[in-house]
Amino acid sequence: MILSFETWQITLFSISVGLASTLLILPFGIALAWLFARKEWPLKSVIETAVLLPLVMPPVSTGLILLKIFGRRSPLGQWLYERGIEIVFNWKGVLIAMSVMSFPLLVRSVRTSFAEVNLRLEQIAATLGASPLRIFFVVTIPLAYKGIVAGALLAFSRALGEFGATILLAGNIPGQTQTLSLAIYNYVQLGKDSEAYTMLGITVGLAFLFVWCSEWLLRAERKN
Amino acid sequence: MRLCCRIPLATFELDVDASFDSRVTAIFGPSGSGKTTLLDAVAGLRDIATGEIEIGGKTLFSSARKINLSPQRRNIGYVPQEGALFPHLSVRRNILFGAERIVHAAGAKGIGMEHVLEILEIAHLLARPVTKLSGGEAQRVALARAILSRPQLLLLDEPLAALDIGLKEKILPYLARVRDEFAIPMIYVTHNVTEVLTLADWVLVIRGGRLLAQGAPKETLTSGRAVREIPEEQLENVFTVTFMESDKAAGRSRVRLSSGAEIFVPYLAQADRPTFQIRVSADDILVGIQRPEGISAGNILPGTVRAIDLIDDQALVSVDAGEDFCVRLTSGAVTRLALDVGCPVFLIIKTRSFRLL
Amino acid sequence: MFHHVRKSLSVAAIFVVLAWTQVNARADEILVSAAASLTDVLKEISAGYQAKAKHTVKFNFGPSSGLARQIEEGAPADIFFSADLPQMDVLDKKKLLEPGTKKNLLSNQLVIIVPADSKVVITSPKDLLKADVKKIALAEPSSVPVGVYSSKYLTDEGLWDQVKPKIVPVQDVRATLASVESGNVEAGFVYKTDAAVSKKVKIVYEVPIDKGPKITYPVAIVKESKRKDAARNFMNYVQSPAAKDAFKKYGFVVLD
Repeated sequence: MILSFETWQITLFSISVGLASTLLILPFGIALAWLFARKEWPLKSVIETAVLLPLVMPPVSTGLILLKIFGRRSPLGQWLYERGIEIVFNWKGVLIAMSVMSFPLLVRSVRTSFAEVNLRLEQIAATLGASPLRIFFVVTIPLAYKGIVAGALLAFSRALGEFGATILLAGNIPGQTQTLSLAIYNYVQLGKDSEAYTMLGITVGLAFLFVWCSEWLLRAERKN
Repeated sequence: MRLCCRIPLATFELDVDASFDSRVTAIFGPSGSGKTTLLDAVAGLRDIATGEIEIGGKTLFSSARKINLSPQRRNIGYVPQEGALFPHLSVRRNILFGAERIVHAAGAKGIGMEHVLEILEIAHLLARPVTKLSGGEAQRVALARAILSRPQLLLLDEPLAALDIGLKEKILPYLARVRDEFAIPMIYVTHNVTEVLTLADWVLVIRGGRLLAQGAPKETLTSGRAVREIPEEQLENVFTVTFMESDKAAGRSRVRLSSGAEIFVPYLAQADRPTFQIRVSADDILVGIQRPEGISAGNILPGTVRAIDLIDDQALVSVDAGEDFCVRLTSGAVTRLALDVGCPVFLIIKTRSFRLL
Repeated sequence: MFHHVRKSLSVAAIFVVLAWTQVNARADEILVSAAASLTDVLKEISAGYQAKAKHTVKFNFGPSSGLARQIEEGAPADIFFSADLPQMDVLDKKKLLEPGTKKNLLSNQLVIIVPADSKVVITSPKDLLKADVKKIALAEPSSVPVGVYSSKYLTDEGLWDQVKPKIVPVQDVRATLASVESGNVEAGFVYKTDAAVSKKVKIVYEVPIDKGPKITYPVAIVKESKRKDAARNFMNYVQSPAAKDAFKKYGFVVLD
C-alpha cells in the first residue's frame, strides 16, 4: 500500500508537532508532578484540579478557552501579534492545543511514578550528603524513568488524537494546520471515504503502538 | 550528645530529654514507641515541634534559636531498618555514594574503603547488583555506605530485626567490630536485649514516647521496671571472656570470666580472638541452696544473692558469683528455697546454655 | 445492589420511551435542511408560517455539501434548500429527490468583508494579496457553495494561487462570518445577505453580479419524506408573496 504524498505530509506533520508538544510539556510536567508527589503547598488542590480539567472537559470547551486567551482581541494575543507571533490558525496553535490537552495525562503518570519511589531512599541520600538536585537526578529520576517515558508516550498518543481544541484554535487548514484527526474529519465531510479510512488506519495503528509500549513500560516498572 | 525533643505523633507525643556521652548508645523499647521517629529527628528527616539536638558541642537543631541544619549538613550516617540500598546502583556505587563529600573535606583522615570492606567482609560483592544480595549482605553494605560517608554519628535502626536468628548471630560481631575499629559514636535502636547488652555502653529505655530510664545497660535492663518491657525469652546475661583451651572429646571449651572464675562453654574449634562475648539466658540458670551431685550441668558456681525483685509471677534474682548474674525464677521458687539477700547459693548452668556471640 | 441497577435501568427506559414518543408524536412536524446563509430569513418566514399552519417546522442549518451528504446517508429531512445547484444535482442523480418538486428560488451576491474595526484597506480583490492581509476565511472551497463560488471567482481573476496559502477553510458561511467578527482573520468571503446580519463586520467589496459567479438557491422535497403533504404546504408558502417579501428584505434576489 503506497500512501499519497498528501497522506505522508499530514502524518509527518502530526508526528512532528506531536513530538514537539510532548517535549515541550515534559520539563513542566515532570516538575509539577514532583511538586504534587513530594510537597505540600497552599492552593495545591486548586492547581491539581485545574491541571486535570482538560482531561474531563469537552475538548472544544478547552479549545474555546484557548481561543479566548490567544485570539487577536485578547491582551496576550495582541502582545504576541505585535511581535509577529501568530497562534490562531497557525501550526503554533496546533502545538498549544496538543500540549494543553495531553499535559494532564503526563502529569498523572509521572506523579504516580514519583510517588512510588521509596521516600526512604531519597532521605538516606540526603543524609549521605546529596543535595536536593543530586537526589532528584541520581535517585528519583532513575527509579521513576519508566513511568516518565510511559507518561510521555501516552501524552504523545493523546496529542496525535487531538481534535476539538485543535480545530477551534488552529483551524483545519490543509498543508498548514491539518493533522491526522482533522484530515479524517475533512474527508468524511467531503465524502472521501477511502482517504478517511486510510487516515483512520494510520491513527489507530500509531495509537495502538504507543499505548501498548506505554503499558509495557509501566508493567516493567511495577515488577521492580 | 544532647537529645531533647517533643514531636507530636499519631497516637502519642514523643517527649525525650537526655544527655549522654558514650560510644554506643542504645535506644530500647517495644515497637511503636517512637524510636524510629527519634532517629529521623536526629538525622533531620523529621520536623520537631520543640527541642534541641547537639552533638560534640555542635548544635544540629534548636527550636529556641531557630537552628535547623539540613540532613546534608548534619554529617550523620543512617542505616535504616530496611537497609534502603539504591536498587539501581551497584554495590560499589552504593557504598561510595556518600564518599564524595569526603573528597572535598579538607584534612579528612581515617577510614579507607579497603578497611571497611575488610571489616565487613563485603569486598567480593562490589560488582554485584544490589537486588541479588542476601539480607545479611545488604545490611553490611548499608553499614559500609554509612561509614564511608565519614559521619560524626551513626544511626542504626533495628539493623538485625529483619534477619533470622542464625543470621543475627552472624552479623552482631560485625557491629561489634565496627564499634571497635572505627570510633564513630553510634545510636542503636532495638527491642532486643542481647544487642543492647552486647554492643551498648549506655541505654535509653523508651515506651509510648516517654523516656522511662537511662543508664548502663546491665543495670538498667535488669531492673524490675525494665523487665516489664522485655518479652519473655529476652532476659540475657552477657559476659566478656578470655579463651583458655578446648576439649573436643569432652565437647567443651574452657574460658575465663573477668573475675577470674572459669566456666565451660560449648566446644569451639578455635577462637578468632583471645577475648570474645558469651551470653546465657536468665531463664536457663538454676539456683541451688546446696551443691548438687551427679548432674549433667558442667558449671556450678558459688555465689551470694545480691538482690531479689518480685514482679507478679516472676522473680529477678541478682547473684554475685564473681560476676553479676541475673537469674529469673518463679516467685514460688524464691519462697520454696527461702531465698533472701545475702544467702549463699550455687548457680547451675549447663555448658550448652552458653551461647557464643 | 441489583435492585438499584434494575431501578435505574427502568427509569432510563421510561425516558427513552418518552423521548421516542415525543419524536414520533409530532407526525406533522417537517424537517428542513437548509444552507447556513438562509438561517435568519427562514426562521422569520417559518414563524409566520407556523402561526397559520397546523404543523411545525424544524430546521437543520449548515453547509449545503454537508447537508446533502446527510440526506445521502438517510437523514430524515423532508425539504432540502441548497445554496448551489451542484449539491442539489448530487441528490438528483441518486434519485433522492421527489420528481417535479425542484425549483430554483433565489440568488445572492458575493462580498468581501473585514472586521468592523479593521485598519486594513481593501478596495478590490487584488488587495487580498497585500502583506497585511495575513489570513482569509472561506467556507471549504472544494465543497461548500460559497467557498466554491469564491474560489472559482478568484481563479477567474487570476488570484487564486497567490491567495490560497492565506485561506483558512471553515465549516460554512456563518462560520466565515464568525471568524471575521473575531478578528482572527483579516478578511472573508460571505454572501451579501450574511454581512447584513452582523454589525461586527463591514463590506469592503461587492463582487459585481455580472463578473461574479452565478449563484442559485434551489429547493426540493426529499423523496424519502414521510410528510410530503406538509412539505408541499411549506414549499408553497416559501414561494408566496409574503415569503418573497421577506427574502427581498434580507437582501436575497428572488428568481422568477
